[in-house]
Amino acid sequence: MWSRPKITSPDGLDDLLTSGFINLRFYESEILQFNKNMKHTEEELVDIKKSISEMWSLVQSQFENSKNALLSTNTELAEVILSREKRVNAFELKIDSDCENYIALYSPVAIDLRLVLSILKINKTLERIGDFADAIARFVMEWSNENTEKELFDLLKIENMMGCVEKMLEITHNALTDENTTTAGIVFSTDRIIDARYNEALSLLAPYINEHPDKTLYCLYLTTVLRKIERAGDHCNNIMEEIVFYVDAKVLKHSPKD
Amino acid sequence: MKINAKNVNFYYGDFHALKNISMDIEPNTVTAFIGPSGCGKSTFLRLFNRMNDLIDGIRLEGECLVGGQNIYDKSVSVDELRKAVGMVFQKPNPFPKSIFENVAYGLRVNGVKDKKIIAETVEKSLHQAALWDEVKDKLKKSAFELSGGQQQRLCIARALAISPSIILMDEPASALDPISTSKIEELIFELKKVYTVVIVTHNMQQAARVSDKTGFFMLGELIEFNDTKKIFLNPDVEQTQNYITGRFG
Repeated sequence: MWSRPKITSPDGLDDLLTSGFINLRFYESEILQFNKNMKHTEEELVDIKKSISEMWSLVQSQFENSKNALLSTNTELAEVILSREKRVNAFELKIDSDCENYIALYSPVAIDLRLVLSILKINKTLERIGDFADAIARFVMEWSNENTEKELFDLLKIENMMGCVEKMLEITHNALTDENTTTAGIVFSTDRIIDARYNEALSLLAPYINEHPDKTLYCLYLTTVLRKIERAGDHCNNIMEEIVFYVDAKVLKHSPKD
Repeated sequence: MKINAKNVNFYYGDFHALKNISMDIEPNTVTAFIGPSGCGKSTFLRLFNRMNDLIDGIRLEGECLVGGQNIYDKSVSVDELRKAVGMVFQKPNPFPKSIFENVAYGLRVNGVKDKKIIAETVEKSLHQAALWDEVKDKLKKSAFELSGGQQQRLCIARALAISPSIILMDEPASALDPISTSKIEELIFELKKVYTVVIVTHNMQQAARVSDKTGFFMLGELIEFNDTKKIFLNPDVEQTQNYITGRFG
């Protein structure tokens, strides 16, 4: 194997090829990507961003479905949400692991470090919003026999509140994808609208329960749904803060956003 | 081409430099050896192209296999072994020749005379070493006109030109600035698609960035050999953890 090849032809090439001294694979191979524009460490970050974007789309879909399932008492759709919850959890575990590996192996600094730290927090927050969609779906399943009144949902502006959360999820998703924080103000103000709607809803529920004592238990459980929608808005707010931290290196947490 | 070490003990005279080391290195991977100075990592690396043979008073026990063959077998030609197992050293060591001739050297001394083949091989090797764009207009210039980082990539191109299967690198970026280091690291990462790369480095972050597997050596012993992710996130051995976290001592 390691003996010197015997050279017989004029330039010796054939013997070298036959002996395996010159590796044909070397001549035929074009698989190396010469002069790539992106380093492999950057490619890893792009992959992490791609994963969080896929998770985001899934959570957006889960939340939209939970709204439709709630408003139309659609138990089949609720079951779809419950079955997809595992995928949200799997995304969370994968992204956590990818971020841990990225920090351990590549010691990121500056904007790369801010991105990984932000994604770690956004990952956890998106998973919580996924949990809310799951909880709303369970509410739909549990109370599917209850004669829900569309007027009550209209009165509490549930569709509007959940629509606001959907919009916030979409805006924050685009903000991270485009690395553009100019829409941050819309997210923060939308959260304030949801907070106001939530307080209004609670104040409207009390007289409703007085008028419909048979619906008391249902309304109590409905307040937990309202609370989850309000918390989902808070979480979108936090996600936007993380994107501002990543893109603009500013810490908005616990500061007034007017 | 795979590399295997089986119960390797190595002595410099009375000094027991490597203690019962066994390791399997898979083809088309990058393996990094880390550890404090004098731990034996460079000695272990140099076993695989028999660079230690040049030192008086050495003694080897155990087996070092490359591609399944014991490279210390009497029938093995060291010259042929070194064609299959190329080496890049800490300091760039180009020959006092032109850039072109540095890369063509290995082919010429091995009897390749076809100018077209030589030219194609030089160009391809320089491409593989990510140096082509920087030197294509000055191939006839002396290699010494290149920067340190470029000279190191030239040495890598020279090693690649004779088409080895394995490339050993002994701290290939320790004498280079961060930008050149980054280019060498990116190159190492790309090279594993075609070659098996083994690298000794004092820079733990470098080992983390480029390698698939990492071996931690201390006092001549292989303390831990594991996936690089595992080593840097959750090492099995406390000594490894103490070393990579800087709590050693």
